This record gives sequence, structure tokens and C-alpha cells, in this order.
Amino acid sequence: MRIILHNIIHGLLLILGVTLISFLLMVWFGPDQTYTLIGKNATASQIMEVRHELNYDQPFMRRYLDYLVELFTLDLGASNSSGEQVNSILRRTLPVSLALMLPGFIIGNLLGIVLGLIAAFRKGTWSDRLITGLSVTGMSISFLIIIIGLQVLLSTPYGLNLFPVRGWQVEDLSSYLAYVTVPTLSLILVTLGYNTRFYRAVFIEESSREHIRTARAFGASPATLMWRHVLKNSLVPITTRIMFSIPLVVISGSLLIESYFGIPGIGKVSFDAITSGDQPILKAVVGLTAVIFVLIQIATDFIYRLVDPRIS
Amino acid sequence: MKTPQALTLSRVFPANAFESDKGRGRVWSKLRRDKAGLLGLVIVTVFLLLSLGVLFGWLGQGWSIADGGRWEPMSVNHWLGTNLLGQDIFQRAVFSTRTAFEIGLAVSLLSTLLGALLGALAGWYNTKLGGNWVDGSILWLMGVLDSIPFYLFVAAVAYALQGWPWAMHVAMIVTFWTTTGRLVRAEVMRIKSRGFVLSSRAIGLPVPVILIRHVLPNTLHILLVQASMAFVAAIKTEVILSFLGLGVQDSVSWGMMLAESTQEVLAGHFNNFLTASFMLFILLLGFNLLADALQDAFDPRQASL
Repeated sequence: MRIILHNIIHGLLLILGVTLISFLLMVWFGPDQTYTLIGKNATASQIMEVRHELNYDQPFMRRYLDYLVELFTLDLGASNSSGEQVNSILRRTLPVSLALMLPGFIIGNLLGIVLGLIAAFRKGTWSDRLITGLSVTGMSISFLIIIIGLQVLLSTPYGLNLFPVRGWQVEDLSSYLAYVTVPTLSLILVTLGYNTRFYRAVFIEESSREHIRTARAFGASPATLMWRHVLKNSLVPITTRIMFSIPLVVISGSLLIESYFGIPGIGKVSFDAITSGDQPILKAVVGLTAVIFVLIQIATDFIYRLVDPRIS
Repeated sequence: MKTPQALTLSRVFPANAFESDKGRGRVWSKLRRDKAGLLGLVIVTVFLLLSLGVLFGWLGQGWSIADGGRWEPMSVNHWLGTNLLGQDIFQRAVFSTRTAFEIGLAVSLLSTLLGALLGALAGWYNTKLGGNWVDGSILWLMGVLDSIPFYLFVAAVAYALQGWPWAMHVAMIVTFWTTTGRLVRAEVMRIKSRGFVLSSRAIGLPVPVILIRHVLPNTLHILLVQASMAFVAAIKTEVILSFLGLGVQDSVSWGMMLAESTQEVLAGHFNNFLTASFMLFILLLGFNLLADALQDAFDPRQASL
């Protein structure tokens, strides 16, 4: 009970920190929208009025506290530039981002686990060396290069010309597949090197444990050894990595992919919000990501305690 | 590979007993036998020389001169053709080596330094029972910085400080130090109970002296590896930021060339894209190989994994 309470206090402090830093950065030092909202030749009183509407005339603490209240009541206000409610923007863009990122995220992790298992199992052989060599190569290629390269190879007349160049007009399964393939392949390629390396290290660490040696001595077949003993006992680091990378991949990854392919998801919306100074959107995206992140942290910790009695 | 003898020994004297032979000679001889690591070192050295050549004004000086036609093919005058504005792609690619090293060195050195100092402080004041405010607040700061989506944070810093040429560097330094900080903190917690640290405390040396003269030099193996990894991360992030329009200003980088090429490739002009990709890939590969080799040479326990 004390530990749970401790976790919750810890989580609240983290949320406070994240919201404070992002508020300072994106709102207090962020772009001033006064002059984009009013036209030329505004009078002093008009300027004051707009600044008042945007809450620019309030003191720092007041604006920050208002922000926290908005966040916890999920009353996020309306976008400055389009006037649309932030809640409805999130409801519109989040499914797009999830549909865009999840296939690549899942396949990238599964492939990483499979390749990591193969490499760990055949440690030191040529297949291990091939897999680790390819991982390092993959880690050395920039995300942007992969995206441009795949786009040229798969969606232009200079390559196979199979998929649409950019955009997101999804109506049914076939159009979804058409638009999602190139971004998914890019995401898999860019994460596969890191994933494989990480999982390989996890599996090798696990297979050097005593209980694996005992199982081997008792004549467990290589397949049972890998599947039942190594993979199952590595579930804790695997789930940690997956849980923690979800919010980061969905937001950070979609920022680039969506800006590049012109897909109306949460990444593009938040990037546009940074450059146009659309504070309600920014505050919502950063604040909610932080909250989700902290909740995941608390939940993971809690699950471990349930699953693994050794953790105390 | 561990010899059977070393294996038995390591069972008798686990981990720390081998610290004494973690000398420079052994590390260097291990590094010299690592072919991939040597290749990495050669690549990095060649690029470093290239960037010094640019710095001293011998190479790539014509990067901004637009004396060619639009998208000229390869020729004697323009070895790798020209871009949209008629600028020489070869010159731009060479000049970008300097930009890459400027960004990479500034970010990797400063973020590693920051991580080393804050990590050492946190580890030093950690009491294992919790409750020390120095350790607590540094940990909290790391947790906070790690909870903000990375590109969003970097983009926001770069945007908030826009117009200032170091905005991008600051953004990366502020986010990159946390990994180094965590590793150094753990290492300092491990070594602060060792004999040489206890004796320097016993003779009454002030804490900053102990930390800087005696504790931090013993985390050098972490710092070197982390610095080379930060170099890779910095150059990769620069590419993304340049594409988003928040990258270097009044200069050229491989990221800028790639950003330019996003429009060109759709019209069938690949020179910009291929040149920048090639340079970027080779340098990053070199640094990754070097980082791996350093890791192997310094940390035999990890290396046997």
C-alpha cells in the first residue's frame, strides 16, 4: 500500500514537472498569436481585447494553474487557429495516427524479437554476425533517407509505382492498405535495427542464467529452451520496452511520417501547432502524453509486483 | 571469449576484482584486434580530416555559389551535378562534413559533460534509503525530460529559441544528457564505497575534488561510449529538424540537402539525395562501429553478451 502511494506521489510530481516545462517552453516562450489573429491597423484597445481573450494578460501562475485544471477536467478549449474544439481534433486525428503507426510498431517489434531470438540462439555463428551487422547498418540510416528511398522505390514512376505518393484518403480496406504500406515499411526499417539489438541482448542475458543451463542439462530441446525458458522469462524487459515506446513512437514517429506524407494525424497537428503557436492544441498533446506516460509507468510497476514476487 | 581460467577466477572474485587490469594497454590491444572497430575509426578519421580541411578553407568553399544551371548532371565543372539553384552538390556535401562535426561534437561533448556531472552528483548523494534531495531532484529532472515526446520537445525548444543559431544544439543537449546521467549515477553508486574513494574521503578532500579527480575518471568507459552514441543521435536529429525547417541556419548540412531533395526526387533528380545519404550513412556507420568496439573493449562483461 505504501509503495503504491509512493508511486502515485512520484507520478504526480513527474506530471507537474512535464506540464511546467512544456508550459514554459511552448506557451510562455512560445509564439505570440496576437498579431496573427487581428488584422493590420488595430487599435490599442483591440490589441488588449485579443490579448485578454488569449489570456496573455494573466500572470504566469494563474495561467499555469488554469492549464492544470483544464488538463484534469479534460476541458481543453478550442484551437486558436481553426476554432475547432481540441477534444474533437483529438478524436479526429488520434485514430488516424494509431491506424498509421500501429501496424509498423507491432511488426517491427515482432520481427525484432524473432531476429533477436535467432541471433541470441546462434550467438557467434555467421547468422548472428549477419543479423548484428545488418542491425548496425540499419541504425546508421537516417529516418528521412528511408522514407524518401522507399517513396521513390515504391510510389513513383522511377520505381515500382505501386502506391500513392502521399496523402490519406482512406475509405475501405484496400485504400487503407495502399496508403499505410510505405509509412509502415519505413517505420519497420527504421526501428528494426534498434529493436533487434535490444532483444538480442535481453535474450543473451537471459540464456546465460543458471536455470537455462539446468534445463539444457536436463535435455530440454533447443526449441523448448528458447520458447519456454528464455522468451517467457524475458517478458518483463520486453513489455517494459513496448509499453514505454508506445506514446513516444505514436507522437514522435508520427510527427515526421505525417508531416512527410501529409497525413492528418496527431503528429502533423502538433507540429503545425508548434509553428503556428496554437497553444490549446500543444498544451493538450504534451500534457496528455505526459499523463499517459506516467500512468503507464505506475501501471507497469504495479503489474511487475503482481507478476514477479522478487521485485520489492 | 573468456578463458576457462578467467571463468573460474571471475566466479571467485566477481566483477570488481578485475578492475585493476582495466588499463589503457589492454583496451587498446583489444580495440586493435577488432576489425569492424578499426574500420569505424578509419572512417571517422577520414571525415574528421575532411571537416578540418573545410574549417581551414581548403575544401568545399564554393558551397553557396550558384554558377551552374538548374539540376545539371555530373560534369567536369560540377562533379556530382547541381541542385535546384545551380549550386554544386559535391561542394555542398563536403562542406556539410564540417557542419556535421560542429553539431556532433558540440552536442556530444556538452551533453556527456552535463550527464557526467549531474549523474555523479546524484549517485554521490544517493543514500539507498531514498530521501536525499540532490539525488531526488536530479532523478526527477531526468524523469521529466524523458516523459516529453522527444521530437516535440526538440522542435519546441528550437522554435522557442528560433533565430538563435544554437537553438537546435541546446535542444539536443538538454534532452540527450539523461541517458549518460543514469549510467554514470549507477556507476558512481557502485564505486563510491570502494577503497580509493573512502580513503580520499578519510583524508578530508572536498567533495568536488573527489568527484572530479577520483570518481569521474573511473566512469570514462561510459562517457566515451555515450559520447560517440550522442554524436550519432545528434546528426540524425539534425536531419529531422532540418526537414521540419528548424535546422541549421545560413549554412548547409546533409539534413538540409535531404530536405531539398524531398521535392527533387519526385521530379527524378536524385544527385542531392544520393550524395547526402551516402555521406551521412558512411559517417554514422563509422561512429556506430566505433561505439560498439569501444563498448566491447572497455566492458568485457557486456562484450561477452
